[in-house]
Amino acid sequence: MKLTFSLLRSLARALALVMLVMIGSTLLVRLAPGYLSDAREMDARYGNTVRAELAEEGARSRSVPQMFAQEIKGWLHGDAGVSRQFGVPAAELIEPRLAVTGGLLLRSLLLGWGFALTAALVAATRRRARLLWQAPATLLLAIPTAAMATLCLLAGSGGPVLVMALLIAARDFKFLSRMLRRAWLEPHLLQARAQGIRMRRMLTMYIAPALGAQLAALAGLSLVTALSALVPVEVLFDVPGLGSLAWNAAMNRDLPVLLAVTLLMALAVTSSGMLGGQTTQGERA
Amino acid sequence: MRIRLAPVWLLVALALGASVMVALPGASYAHQDREHLLAEASLQHPAGTDAMGRDRLVRVSAALLLSLAGAMAASVLTTAAAAVIGGAAAFAPRGVAWLVMVVCDVFLALPWLFLLMMVRSALPLQASPAHSAVVTFLVLAALGWPACARAVYRGGLELKCAGWMLQARASGLRRIQLVRQALPNLLPLLLPQFLVCVPAFVIAEANLGALGLGIGEPLPSWGGMLLELDNSALLFRTQWVYFPVALLILVLLLLEAIPVEA
Amino acid sequence: MRMRRDLAGFLLAILVAAAAKNCAAQAAARLPGELAWTIGYDPKTFDPAKVDDVDSETVRYLTAGVLLRYNRLTQAVEPRLAESWSLSPDGKTMTFHLRAGLKFSDGSALTSRDVVWSIRRVLLPATAAPVADEFVAPAGVRVDAPDASTVIVHLPQRVVGIGKVFDEIAIEPAERPSEGRVTSGPFFVADYQRSQSVRLRRNPYYALRDASGAALPRASGVRLDIVENPEQQIRLFQRGESDLIDRLPPDIYELLRQKAPGTVRDLGPSLNTEQMWFNQAPASPLPSWEKTWFQSQVFRVAVSQAIHRDDIARVVYLGHATPAYSFVSPANRAWYDRALTAPRTDAAAARASLQRAGFRYQGTQLIDAAGHPVKFSILTNAGNDERLKMATLIQQDLAAVGMQVNVVTLDFPALIERLMHTQDYEACLLGLENVDADPNEMMNVWRSSSPNHQWNPSEKTPATAWEAEIDKEMDLQATSTKDAVRKTAVDRVQQIVAEEEPFIYLVYPNALVAISPRVEGAQPAVIEPGLWWNIEDLRLRGAR
Repeated sequence: MKLTFSLLRSLARALALVMLVMIGSTLLVRLAPGYLSDAREMDARYGNTVRAELAEEGARSRSVPQMFAQEIKGWLHGDAGVSRQFGVPAAELIEPRLAVTGGLLLRSLLLGWGFALTAALVAATRRRARLLWQAPATLLLAIPTAAMATLCLLAGSGGPVLVMALLIAARDFKFLSRMLRRAWLEPHLLQARAQGIRMRRMLTMYIAPALGAQLAALAGLSLVTALSALVPVEVLFDVPGLGSLAWNAAMNRDLPVLLAVTLLMALAVTSSGMLGGQTTQGERA
Repeated sequence: MRIRLAPVWLLVALALGASVMVALPGASYAHQDREHLLAEASLQHPAGTDAMGRDRLVRVSAALLLSLAGAMAASVLTTAAAAVIGGAAAFAPRGVAWLVMVVCDVFLALPWLFLLMMVRSALPLQASPAHSAVVTFLVLAALGWPACARAVYRGGLELKCAGWMLQARASGLRRIQLVRQALPNLLPLLLPQFLVCVPAFVIAEANLGALGLGIGEPLPSWGGMLLELDNSALLFRTQWVYFPVALLILVLLLLEAIPVEA
Repeated sequence: MRMRRDLAGFLLAILVAAAAKNCAAQAAARLPGELAWTIGYDPKTFDPAKVDDVDSETVRYLTAGVLLRYNRLTQAVEPRLAESWSLSPDGKTMTFHLRAGLKFSDGSALTSRDVVWSIRRVLLPATAAPVADEFVAPAGVRVDAPDASTVIVHLPQRVVGIGKVFDEIAIEPAERPSEGRVTSGPFFVADYQRSQSVRLRRNPYYALRDASGAALPRASGVRLDIVENPEQQIRLFQRGESDLIDRLPPDIYELLRQKAPGTVRDLGPSLNTEQMWFNQAPASPLPSWEKTWFQSQVFRVAVSQAIHRDDIARVVYLGHATPAYSFVSPANRAWYDRALTAPRTDAAAARASLQRAGFRYQGTQLIDAAGHPVKFSILTNAGNDERLKMATLIQQDLAAVGMQVNVVTLDFPALIERLMHTQDYEACLLGLENVDADPNEMMNVWRSSSPNHQWNPSEKTPATAWEAEIDKEMDLQATSTKDAVRKTAVDRVQQIVAEEEPFIYLVYPNALVAISPRVEGAQPAVIEPGLWWNIEDLRLRGAR
């Protein structure tokens, strides 16, 4: 009974989220400047054709509720609407890119967490030179993604996964090192260390459980970091994923595609939030 | 929380030095010395010039004052917003918390790029570069809080179940008092949020130049100078392009060193 | 304990190394004899009739079989699928004689029926082919095939440069358009991976042969990698995974000149111009006094005189640009007016003429007769480093004559909305790309009734006498059959534009290209597609 109730709650939450994101995105895109213009209007050869296309789109998007209804229809139809730029169903554009982006996200999240945890553990257990450990993370945060991409290209090694993992690691490290240090200095751990309990045991028995909820929250945060880094990283490295598709759609005001990608991201964000929330929910009950 | 004074003084000295550089007679961040493009360090230009012949040292100094002030103010705002919203949600009734978290998620997912475009089109074209810089940092602050608010919310929930908190509740402390007691315990989440936001905002400001926001020419933008690093042609022509990023790292490390934790 | 920590550090190092190995997206392996270069975005369509963006156009150029080809180097029209062609003296009847034994890339025969079908398809309103507009009155065009190897096109009126229009019309198999899969051109589309690459394979039945009788094209195929990041494009070129780069930015040109000498070429001024203009539209939401400034010839000329074009060429383009005063580039030898006189850079003269026109100085700030300080913004598109730098130089140049300029960059759709729809802007800095040397191509820029008449679009009647005169001269050059008359008319337009400065021309950027030493047969030209216009002759060194 309890399970069904909580499932229903999650479902209601997801549905509310989808609706709100859909309405919000449609409004934002439609009201943003340039929805009914195109760079090709300036081109003598293509001007007339493009103007005709725009007039058609103008008639179609005169009222926002109407646009919204069309989007919903596209979703019910199962193809998420027809891309304004390419004239093919948005689902067709998104499908092959899902795996690419999924793989990129997963690998960089794992790698980033690997970096961050290892570095944070080392930093937390060292008494001195904490700043020394902060320096590389700070360096990574201070360099724009575009510059990292160029440096990778110049060096001839490193790719989207590395750049994204480093970004995630640098951010997470800031949080993790503080949490771990705090935990490390707790009285019971001081005692444990004095007694010479092995590191691994301390980690699994004391530190991990104490930090469980915060770590879960941090996982959600790093997914958000990863998603926000997705667009620049994919565009700069020419990864054929959802991020570069979204960027392209935004620059061309391609609402159906943009909406589909936004919804996917919203679902990713909210599910990460719920995943992180499970433990705390449990404790409260 | 105690504070180390040495880094504070160093930061103040840096800001003072930068102010002196900018205020020196004859120093101009905008003047283009078109005969000395990408010049190497000289007496006249201690850190060389940029691709348009403007003195790099003066520009970096001015940008340090401008971007850093903007980014830090925006970071303070966004961190405070995250603390208030996340903390309030954690100690509020469950329904309210649920609503706040849904709003957070929607906020995280929406394509804000378009809002920024709208802000630009609402801003008059003649708005001065400084005016648009202020607006930009405000917008950045307004958009930066949700991710952290969620983490604060979780941290807050955790605290709520902590032993001392139960005790406090049992002994009849009011909600507001509880929150005040809880906030210091959320510092391990808030402090890094602040530190992460500063460079992120410095860079984001420069990226927003693409939408017509941000610090406009001829005002120097620190982020704009950082973005020069993505041009390999420039990297090969002068070493001085690394100067702004080195300075930013120094400033960030100093900020990092201020609070004495644990 | 210490060892454990060192172990952790070691682990970290391994992780980094493992990730670094995980390299960036690599270009697909090259097939033997295949040429490769990069395009910026996915082609929006492979249907040659519907092409309306540059990347689709590249694919069409490489795959389409055309009756006539416009030679980008000699600027002459040459027969391709047509063995010969003729235009009647009144310019209204074109006759094409097809080559014997033409075949499509699938081996099926190509006859006049396919040609008629393809031309008619382009003309149909339902196809919405951009090229149809070039016939001026597409609805009145008749296309007939008296026999299997002859095609006659009847035009309702004379069209200037009609031969070049057929350079854009692909001959496809009648009733079965294939989106480039079956073509009569040098290549056909073999494979398309969205966002990754387009692969074209050699058409074994291509009609053209070289002087020695060898089959063309020489290359076995072309791979177009879709790469948006220019840095990535350069890297692919340096690694030998891409053979050509068109439109190099000047700083990258200089970099490659040092790192890979012998691969880059500066072809001199291109046909393109960079210009700025003021919004003169009476319907714009600007305050009335600003409209008065922008509509004043004295004001525009003063701005033009204050701008140091030499500095723009030197600082922004590193010397790879030529100061511009007219819309016809010196690269366009046939139409460039050597006798053109235009106001030259002279800030003192600018200040003096402004003061004569009622402006005055309050300190260093210029104010108009009514006391409004002269302040305006220059818009340009975001992401174009050169334009931002030009605007910043202009900002300082105009500050020297007391004008306060704000530089604003916008993304293209937002910029175009202001330029074309709301008219809510003061000045704009953009470039114009000329795809053709003939000024008739710029008809819709100069005719006052055109929506592309940027400074004051879609005028019902010409707003000024000089705009009326431009209309008249442009109409004259579009209808006259005598080259001398056309040249005089275009010279006159150039002179009016130089005096009135509706567009303040800044520079002609040079055409900068990179060609891998492995590529044979390249003859780069300044007219698009300058690098691969003679694609039939290009081949990789050493490949059969």
